[in-house]
Amino acid sequence: MKNISSIPGLPPLLACAGLLGVWEVAARIIGISGLPPAHEALRELPKILTDKESLLNILDSMRRMLIGFSLALIVAVPIGLMMGRARLVAAFFNPLLMIIYPVPKAALMPLIMLWLGVGDASKTLVIFLGVSLPVIYHAYQGARAVEEKMLWSAAAMGLGPAARLLRIVFPAALPEIMVGIRTGLVLALITMVTSEMIARKQGVGDLLFNALAMAQYETVYATIIIIGMLGFVIDAAFEKLRFRVVAWAEPTHDIAVGST
Amino acid sequence: MESASSMIAIERLSKTFETTRGTSHLALSEISLDVAQGEFVSVLGPSGCGKSTLLYIVGGFVTPSVGALRVADKPVTGPGPDRGPVFQEFALFPWKTVLGNVMYGLLEQGRSKADALARANALIELVHLKGYENFYPKELSGGMKQRVAIARTLAYGPSILLMDEPFGALDAHTRTGMQMELLDIWERDRKTVLFVTHSVEEAVFLSDRVVVLTRSPGRIKEIISIDLPRPRRRAELLVDRRYQQYVVDIEKLMDDPRDVIPPPKGEGAEPTGRRVAPSDDKLREAGGVAS
Repeated sequence: MKNISSIPGLPPLLACAGLLGVWEVAARIIGISGLPPAHEALRELPKILTDKESLLNILDSMRRMLIGFSLALIVAVPIGLMMGRARLVAAFFNPLLMIIYPVPKAALMPLIMLWLGVGDASKTLVIFLGVSLPVIYHAYQGARAVEEKMLWSAAAMGLGPAARLLRIVFPAALPEIMVGIRTGLVLALITMVTSEMIARKQGVGDLLFNALAMAQYETVYATIIIIGMLGFVIDAAFEKLRFRVVAWAEPTHDIAVGST
Repeated sequence: MESASSMIAIERLSKTFETTRGTSHLALSEISLDVAQGEFVSVLGPSGCGKSTLLYIVGGFVTPSVGALRVADKPVTGPGPDRGPVFQEFALFPWKTVLGNVMYGLLEQGRSKADALARANALIELVHLKGYENFYPKELSGGMKQRVAIARTLAYGPSILLMDEPFGALDAHTRTGMQMELLDIWERDRKTVLFVTHSVEEAVFLSDRVVVLTRSPGRIKEIISIDLPRPRRRAELLVDRRYQQYVVDIEKLMDDPRDVIPPPKGEGAEPTGRRVAPSDDKLREAGGVAS
């Protein structure tokens, strides 16, 4: 066992192989068209990934996700930080967040479509909402936990309130903010796909539902695999970045990736 | 006292805190104290007597409720680089290296990068951390963190050091070592120091004068001048009769049972209702309990 577990990357590969194996066997036993065997879905992967139209859809989705995600960071981090340092700001935003947090953001999609149509704006807004909440929450917690004495030390050096927020509270809260961003990234992917499933015009979600409507189940499963791999790659890349950016931080707690 | 030449002039200063229950708590009452330039003054008292609050007020971090406070003949309106704090919690910037922490205040004060670097390196050497310039705070022990904090504060050249139980979180051995180093540093340029502690030995060893506060609300109970020659050597002082007498006298002052049990009907004073066990205090004095 020792030599197996010492090879990095092997356990996750085994897990994937196991899942595919179970899938393959189950599909053969059950034998319905809605559950094609794993190898048939896998065979679809290169087709989708070399098809220009599909690739454009995927890129289109990624573009919206990136815009919604970036906008959310720009808005959510300052709000969270200010909530953490000013009681008045926290008192204002807290009830709003409490109401919005448990609402599945995709459930707002039909309403948002009434205002903004079925185009980019609606989908980007939903992604924005999905990402904002965990980022605000973690920035808020991070800012609240900043040691008063650290701020006093900075004040004695001559940093004013705005400089302290930007140059002390923000970096001090950064490890916690990064936790929120990681959750936000996963939520960005989820809200991206669901928004496209509701407002079907283009994107990965549209690809998925088109295949479903045409009973191309192999394509449906292949698309789900692509979305899963996308999430895996994004998360792994972000974790690399996170460890690099906040390597100075004391280890706090393990991250639980939440979802709504 | 010689209020004309005093560096810190505190006059009839009181501080009332609003508690979460809506009542008010008198933390400091009618404190008057003058600290001369270059003087090393310790504030001693039981936990919860407001001694740290007094230091925070002088630092400009907390505003007094009543009373006047002047530093170098100017009224205090907020924090400033003339008063450098050193906290028990170190309060280092964890995202900055040792060098980055020590340089921070220098760059903030508009020094050139080369200038700041040279001065920071000299201070890092002074606190015996040469070779650790690129370490992050999380990689350092408590004693090393406090050395960084002291260097960081000394770097921007405050004329007053405000030390809030700086060695309270360190083990006994590190603590006595740091006390001696602090005195060595202090002997070089004799900054004005206001030093808060609950260790009698520490206060007597370091100070020119020791201010003993009463328990909640903190009032000045007595000010004792420590008439011991400088530079002081710990090994010599420990067997010095006068040193021992100071320690015993001040211990007695602090063990006054009237202080331990709060008065039943203090105006606005909220009884703490909790007596710190003497054994606990002794432990803390030995530096055994990190608080």
